[in-house]
Amino acid sequence: MSSSNTLLERRYAALGLMLIAPTVLVFCAVIIYPLVSAIYLSFFNIFTPTLEGEWVGLSNYTELLQTGQFWSALGNTLIWTIGTLSLQIIFGIAMALVLHQNIWFRSLARSLILFPYFISTVVAVLVWKWLFNDLYGIMNHLLISAGIIDFPMDFLGTMPNAMVSVILVGAWKYFPFVVIAVLARLQSIPDALYEAAKIDGAGPIARFFDVTLPQLREVLVVIILLRAIWDFKEFDLIFLLTGGGPINDTQTLPLLVYQEAFALNDMGRASAYAVVMMAIMLVFMIVYIRRTRSEGGS
Amino acid sequence: MAEVIFSEVKKSFGAFTAVHGLNLHITEGEFVSLLGPSGCGKTTTLRMLAGLEFPTSGDIQIGDRVVNDIPPGQRDIAMVFQSYALYPHMSVADNIAYPLKKRGVGKADRSIAVAKTAELLQLTELLKRKPRQLSGGQQQRVALGRALVRDPKVFLLDEPLSNLDAKLRGYMRVELVELHRRLGRTMVYVTHDQLEAMTMSDRIAVMEGGVLQQFAPPAEVYAAPANRFVASFIGTPGMTLMDGALSRQGGTWRFEAPGISMDVGALNDRAEPGGACLGVRPEHVLIGQGPVNGTIQVVEKTGHENIVIIGLEGGQRLTGRVPAPQSWSIGENVQLSLDAEQAHIFGPGPHGPRLNLPSNVATPDLKSAAN
Amino acid sequence: MAHLRKILFNLMAWSIVLAVAFPLFWMLVTSVKPQFELFRRPPTILPETWTFEHYWTLLADTNFLVYFRNSVILSSATTLLVVAVATLGAYSLVRFKYRGRESLAFLVLFTYLLPSVVLIIPLYLLLVQLGVSNTIFSLVIAYTTFALPYALWLLRSFMAGIPEDLESAALCDGATRMGAFRDIILPQLLPGIISTALFTFILSWNEYLYALVLVNSDSSRPLTTGVMNMLISSFNIEWSLLMAASVMMSVPLIIVFAFLQSYLTRGFGAGGVKG
Repeated sequence: MSSSNTLLERRYAALGLMLIAPTVLVFCAVIIYPLVSAIYLSFFNIFTPTLEGEWVGLSNYTELLQTGQFWSALGNTLIWTIGTLSLQIIFGIAMALVLHQNIWFRSLARSLILFPYFISTVVAVLVWKWLFNDLYGIMNHLLISAGIIDFPMDFLGTMPNAMVSVILVGAWKYFPFVVIAVLARLQSIPDALYEAAKIDGAGPIARFFDVTLPQLREVLVVIILLRAIWDFKEFDLIFLLTGGGPINDTQTLPLLVYQEAFALNDMGRASAYAVVMMAIMLVFMIVYIRRTRSEGGS
Repeated sequence: MAEVIFSEVKKSFGAFTAVHGLNLHITEGEFVSLLGPSGCGKTTTLRMLAGLEFPTSGDIQIGDRVVNDIPPGQRDIAMVFQSYALYPHMSVADNIAYPLKKRGVGKADRSIAVAKTAELLQLTELLKRKPRQLSGGQQQRVALGRALVRDPKVFLLDEPLSNLDAKLRGYMRVELVELHRRLGRTMVYVTHDQLEAMTMSDRIAVMEGGVLQQFAPPAEVYAAPANRFVASFIGTPGMTLMDGALSRQGGTWRFEAPGISMDVGALNDRAEPGGACLGVRPEHVLIGQGPVNGTIQVVEKTGHENIVIIGLEGGQRLTGRVPAPQSWSIGENVQLSLDAEQAHIFGPGPHGPRLNLPSNVATPDLKSAAN
Repeated sequence: MAHLRKILFNLMAWSIVLAVAFPLFWMLVTSVKPQFELFRRPPTILPETWTFEHYWTLLADTNFLVYFRNSVILSSATTLLVVAVATLGAYSLVRFKYRGRESLAFLVLFTYLLPSVVLIIPLYLLLVQLGVSNTIFSLVIAYTTFALPYALWLLRSFMAGIPEDLESAALCDGATRMGAFRDIILPQLLPGIISTALFTFILSWNEYLYALVLVNSDSSRPLTTGVMNMLISSFNIEWSLLMAASVMMSVPLIIVFAFLQSYLTRGFGAGGVKG
């Protein structure tokens, strides 16, 4: 007997397929099918309350590219993503370096830092809205008593305050991710590298730039890609803090999709926005996927 | 009835072929080593025998059954892994009992068998421990115990000693040979360590690049390597190999290389005039007098003997081995001769075949000498 | 000198840590202050009068308990479903060979990064057509869209960390593939499963967008949209009450942090960054 696949091998493959079948089924039903229909829907005009629609071809897309709202939402998304991501990275690396040192009650400090990442966005937003409260919020109180401002500030209702606030809260909520990831990598840098650098006469700053940073490079690229993807698609935080306001000045693409579909009741147009948004994200996603796979997924 | 037969077994992983048309007939009760450098296909061969990899083509037979379609658990084999693969969440006793449990042996019988095996391997004290609480040597014995507990037809051992320190390794070699003698079971042993293969095996299958190079008793592999690869792979320090040319002189042959020229006697009918390779084992280099001139370059003292590296006039280096009292200083000029009776001639190329006549083979029994 | 520097460094480090943790501290403090104390100028850092009245109000006079129950059911159901499916799926993806396996792994990673807003419109339409919208069940379905790829990705990497030799040894010892899975792999995977379950639970517990779109009746609303509704619908915002709700909503998380934090850190290493 010499077939290309032995009976045993085929039996194992069949078992493997059986085990993956539930996953595939769920994937097809709740991810693949909706994904395909999102693209399909984007060629229709659908009135949300009645769910009745008509074929409009590419007109959703052509209109979308001509409206200012799409472009301003795209601009807001980029400002938000770049702003919050840079803060997350800078603050995250700094915090990781601090926590890597042997400070008092290190594990407690680590838990406290980690906590904002895991709490619900709803909780984070409620707390920050209270902190930002114009009359009784502690932020205004602190800023006034420090003499930085004379009158209570409107953190979320005016520009550019609203965008800055959103970016700051985003950085606060998501920088722990960077901390943990960088910390894990820091702990795996061999001490011998630092000792060698010390022997070669490198001071603490030179050691950071010549030893630590090059060692962090790989993991930072992955973190930046992941966080860029996640920040780009962030909905909850911005929607709950400002709702996209004042006017539409903090409206990002995910908020625009939501607004079109469930406030302006045009699901076709909303789908078109979503598809375009996904297309933009695809660039980052492909880079990330390529990276993870080349690093030896299989 | 536990012979193992590979017939034209081939294994490819995509475009890469790990094993090329392997034919191997291991007889009942034999201890066979699969020996070769890493990536030579020896582990793939063993894993195919175990049923953990599947041959792309060809048949594998255990006893009188072709086992290609039989899952590992029904092949009546037991395997010891290089990593030991002890189940971390089970105690030593449960680890050893697992193969019996999977075969439906009752609880009472299981504990009797486990106790017996533990006794044999001096594990009785450790039965309640978890694998991570054991030393490397103890883990190794548990892995062995798991294989021994149910008396399989064939034992498969995948570099079982490579994670032990040198001293323990030497001890376990003797133990394994002892065990094999007592059980009389077929054992297939994968290793990259020629010392293990030479000292333990009835026969060695030398593999390289997925191709079987030679399958013979250790003494024969040493004294009559089938080709240049085997010659270079077996023996420490290695055989000196010199490229040169053969020429016919009546019924005999002459080998010439820069700095060296010698009669090598009669060769087999694969010999042709032209490029060839001369191989000389260190113990067949006779230093003192002779037709060859050289300079001592390195002397390595190992205690009971000295290894000398000698530079010849043509730039060729030669390794010799002499008993300890004899030594030379570096830079000294010496005369030497090569034992033509024991010289090996190979055809050209890295796998050039052996050209000596079979009568040239001297076969001291290395295995019993090692014991 | 070195001693002084160490103390200064520690003080600096801890002031940053405390600044980061301050909003959470403020949430706790506000929740136990009586309403009138909130309007004090300057604000009191620690409450002068401690009170748990807001917690009582929350439990007795609002829908909080209903939301809480819904969230527990919703998150538990999602976690159970997703972890069960993903454990089998990850075993298949890591340890079996068949055509399309590679593309499937690719698809998992792709969906792991996919934005919810792309799927939400068709999902909404689908669930309306099936007549299950406005139920906890519809949210379970919706939550699998992000939870399943996530859990698969995590478990895949935990699975890959289990030495293949263990399974091979079990097969040689006479186990079937599924026998080896049950006897050997599952016990080894347990920490990974716990870690994945915790992450999945937290993700589901915190989800907002799907809950906002798919459910608009109080009887099946989870905590996120429920508590948010308390903010929007109340005539005059009672911050103490909202902070009490926030604290209560974070209780499961606090439990995880207190007792199971090592599993969270493990999950981080396996899924988030290493890939």
